[in-house]
Amino acid sequence: MNSGQEPTSAIEVDGLRFRYPGADVEALTGVDLRIERGDITAVVGGNGSGKTTLCKTFNGLVPHYWSGDFAGTVRVCGVDTRTTSVADLSHLVGYVYQDFGNQLVRPTVRDEVSFAPVNFGLDDHAERTEEAMELLGVAHLADRFTWQLSGGQQHLVALAGVLALRPEVIVVDEPVAELDPARAEGIYEALTGLNARLGTTIVVIEHHAEFVARYARTVLLMADGAPVWHLPVREALERHEELDRHGIPAPQIAGAVRALVPAAPVPLTVPEAAEALRGVPLGGAAEATPAPPVGETVAELVGVHHGYREVGGGLTRVLQGVDLTLRAGERVALVGGNGAGKSTLLRLLTGLKVPREGTVRVEGTDTRTVRPAALADRVCHLYQRPEQMFLKDNVREDIAMFPRGRGVPDTDALVDSILDRIRLTDLADRDGRLLSGGQQRRATLGIGLGVRPALLLLDEPTSSLDTASRDAVIAMLDSLAETIRCTVVATHDMHLVAAWAHRVVVLDGGRIVADTDPAALFADPDLMDSVGLIPPQIVRLGLELGMEPPPLSVAELLDRGLATTGGGSDAHR
Amino acid sequence: MPTADRRRERKERDTLSVEWVKLELLRTAYATRGGLLASRDPRFVIGWYLIFAVVPWFTHDLTVLAGLFLVCAVAVVLSRVGPLILGLFVFGFVLESLYVLFAAWFFGGDLSTVLALVELTLKLATVSLASMAAFVSLDPEKLSDALLALHAPAMVAFGVSYGYRMLPMLMEEFHTVVDGHRLRAAPLPSPGFLGWRVVVRTGSTVVAAFYPLMLNTAKRTRTTVEALETKGFTYAAEHPAGRRIRLAHLKADRWDAVLIAATVLLVAGCFTLGELYPLPVQVG
Repeated sequence: MNSGQEPTSAIEVDGLRFRYPGADVEALTGVDLRIERGDITAVVGGNGSGKTTLCKTFNGLVPHYWSGDFAGTVRVCGVDTRTTSVADLSHLVGYVYQDFGNQLVRPTVRDEVSFAPVNFGLDDHAERTEEAMELLGVAHLADRFTWQLSGGQQHLVALAGVLALRPEVIVVDEPVAELDPARAEGIYEALTGLNARLGTTIVVIEHHAEFVARYARTVLLMADGAPVWHLPVREALERHEELDRHGIPAPQIAGAVRALVPAAPVPLTVPEAAEALRGVPLGGAAEATPAPPVGETVAELVGVHHGYREVGGGLTRVLQGVDLTLRAGERVALVGGNGAGKSTLLRLLTGLKVPREGTVRVEGTDTRTVRPAALADRVCHLYQRPEQMFLKDNVREDIAMFPRGRGVPDTDALVDSILDRIRLTDLADRDGRLLSGGQQRRATLGIGLGVRPALLLLDEPTSSLDTASRDAVIAMLDSLAETIRCTVVATHDMHLVAAWAHRVVVLDGGRIVADTDPAALFADPDLMDSVGLIPPQIVRLGLELGMEPPPLSVAELLDRGLATTGGGSDAHR
Repeated sequence: MPTADRRRERKERDTLSVEWVKLELLRTAYATRGGLLASRDPRFVIGWYLIFAVVPWFTHDLTVLAGLFLVCAVAVVLSRVGPLILGLFVFGFVLESLYVLFAAWFFGGDLSTVLALVELTLKLATVSLASMAAFVSLDPEKLSDALLALHAPAMVAFGVSYGYRMLPMLMEEFHTVVDGHRLRAAPLPSPGFLGWRVVVRTGSTVVAAFYPLMLNTAKRTRTTVEALETKGFTYAAEHPAGRRIRLAHLKADRWDAVLIAATVLLVAGCFTLGELYPLPVQVG
C-alpha cells in the first residue's frame, strides 16, 4: 500500500467545508490541516466545534455515508477520500467510537476482531486476529462474549477490531467519556504502545487536558468548524487562557505551577511539576476541617452476603460480610474496582434486591418486610446511564411522575422549583434523551429531588462528562444537603471524591477494606493500587512534594503554600 | 405499613424469579447445556428440524402423529431443553388440550370433532418439540453460519447473530426500565378483585416500558450501522471471499449422516406403524 516511503503526511486536508443535509450552518468551515505520520494528535474543542465531523472525514464516513455539501480535499496517506470507498479506506483508517460498546457487532471477542478481515476475504485473517488481540493484551478473552466484558475490555476489543486491518491511522473518539480514568490510562498506554511499535498515527478527540498533556505530541484546537491552531503539546498548553475559553481547563498541575512559579515551562507530568516546584515553600499543615457532626442512622447493612447466579449455574459472590452504617449529614463515596460490589450494594439499599444473608435496614425498616415501592419515598437510586431514568417523553413529566403518583400537594410548584434549581426550565418540555450529557445528569438529579428521599444513591454521576459539566454536577451535589439527609455516590472519579466526599468506603472483592476520608485514602498508595484507583493530579503532586496529608484541590495547595514560612521547605529538599 | 407484617418476608430466589427467567433465556439462546444435537453440524440440525416441521402435515393418522410426537419428545430430553421453555410448552399443551375438550363439548361436537382437534394439536406440538430441540442446540454463530451456508441472504444470517448479541442487553435494559416504573409510578390503592389492578398495572407498565427501550436502542444502532460499513459488511455482501472463509469451518462427519439416516428410519417406522394400526379406524 504505502510502498513509497517518502515522508508524506498521514492526513492532509485542504479547504474542507462540509454541511450536513438539512443543516443551516456548516459543520466544517474551511479546514486546512496536516498530520504527520507517526504523530499522536489530540483534537480538542468545545461541543459542536466540529471535532467528530472532522475525524469522520478521515475514514470517508463523511461524505460517503453522511452525504452533504462537501468541498475541498482530504487525503489519507496520499489517497483522496472522495474517490475511495469507506470499505477501502478502512484499511488505512480505523475508527473507535465514543460509545464503543455499540461498535461491537459479534457475540464473541475473536469473532468481533476477525469480523473485518473475514468480510474483506483476507486469507491471513486468523494471523491478523491473533496479532491484534496479542498487541492489545486481550488474547485471553478470545472466547468470551462481548457483553460479559467490562467497559475497558470492550474498548480494547473495539480497538483490536480496527487494528486487525493494520491501519496507518487510528482515530479514537473520547476514550475517557465512558471509561473511568484508570482504564482510560490503560487505553492511552495501549495507543502509545502501538504508536511506538508500529508507527501508527494516532488521532484522539479528548476533553481532558491532563491526558492531552501526558500522551499527545501535537494539539489541534477546533472552534466553529475550523482549526484555531495546531501546535506541539507544550506550546499548546502554554495558551491556557485560550484553551479555557474553549472549555478545556488547564490540568491541575499546570494551574498550580503557574500560580507559584510563573516563569517555569508548563509541566506535562506530575514529576515535571514537582521538579518545577522544588524550592517553593510548601507543605504547611492542613487546615483542620471540623469533622461533620454525626447524625442518627439513616440506613445500615448488617452481615450482608449477596451473590448472583451465572449463566453456567454457578453462584458468583459479590458481597461477603458487609457491615456499614450510613448516618444523616454524611457524603459517602463508595469506591472500588469493577466487580467490587458497588452497584450490588446500591441495589440492596433500594430494596429491589434483598440480601441472601444478613439484614438491610433503611430508616429502621428491614427491606425484606416491604415491597420496593414502599421504600421508594425514602431511597432514590439514580442510574449510571441517565437515559434509563427517562420514562416519560419530557423532563417535566419525568420529575413530576413520582410526586404526582404519591399525591404530593402542589406537585406543579414543586416541579417548577426543581427545574429552576437544576437550571433546565427552558428545556423542560424536551425528551431527556435529546439533552447533552451534563443536562441529562442534571435532569436525573431533578428526578431524585422530586422524590425527596432520606437516602440518595448515585451511580457514577460524573462519568462521560466534560470537565465543565462535571464541575456543574459536583456543585449541584454540594447543594443537595439541605434536602437530602444522606447521599451515597458510587464512583471511579477521584476528582469527585476529592471535591465532594467526606467519607470514603473502599470495597474490594465484596468486602469493605477501608472506611476513611479522602485525604487519608489518597495518602495510602498501597490501598489505592490494590483497588486500581488513581488519585487526582494535585494529590499526586502534593505526595511527590512530601505534603502530609496531601492537598485535595489546587486552592488548598496554594493556601498551604502561602501559609508556611520559608523554613518548611528544607524538609523535602 | 400495617399490611407488611402479614406478608411473607421477601427473599432472593434462584428459580421462578425474573433473574431466573433471564438466565434461562440466555442458557437457551447460547446453547450452554450441550446435548445430542449441539455437537452436530448446524446445517444437519436445521435439516433434522425441517423433517419434523414438514412431515406431520402429510398425514391424518393419529398413530403416525403420536409416534412422531414421541420421537421429538425423546429428542427434547436428549437435547437438554431447560425447565423454563419446557414448562411453558407443557403449560401451553395442557391448556390447549383442555380447550379442545371444552370447545368440542360447548359446540355440541362428538368424538370425531375431538379427534380432528387432537390431530391438529398433536401436529403443532410435534413441530414445537422439534424446534425446541433444534434451536436450543444452536448457538448464534452456528445458526447464522448454517443459514449463510444454506444460501439465506447475508442480511438474515447477520441479523440472527446480531439479534442474539443484543438480547442480553435488551433484557437488562427492559428490566431496569420496568423497575423504574415499579418504583416511581403511583402505588396501587389495593390489588382489587383477583388482583385485577395488579394485572392491568403490569400490562400497562410493560407497554409503557417499550417506549424508552426502543428510543434508547435506536440511539445505539446509529453507531452500529456506521461501524458495520467500516468493517466491510456491505463489501462482503458483494464479494464471496468472506463467505468462503466464514463457512470453511463447517464440516459434516459421518455422525451427521447417521443422525439424518436414523431420523428418516424413525419417521418411516412411524408411518409403518400407522399402516398397521391406523387411528382413527377407517370405517367402510
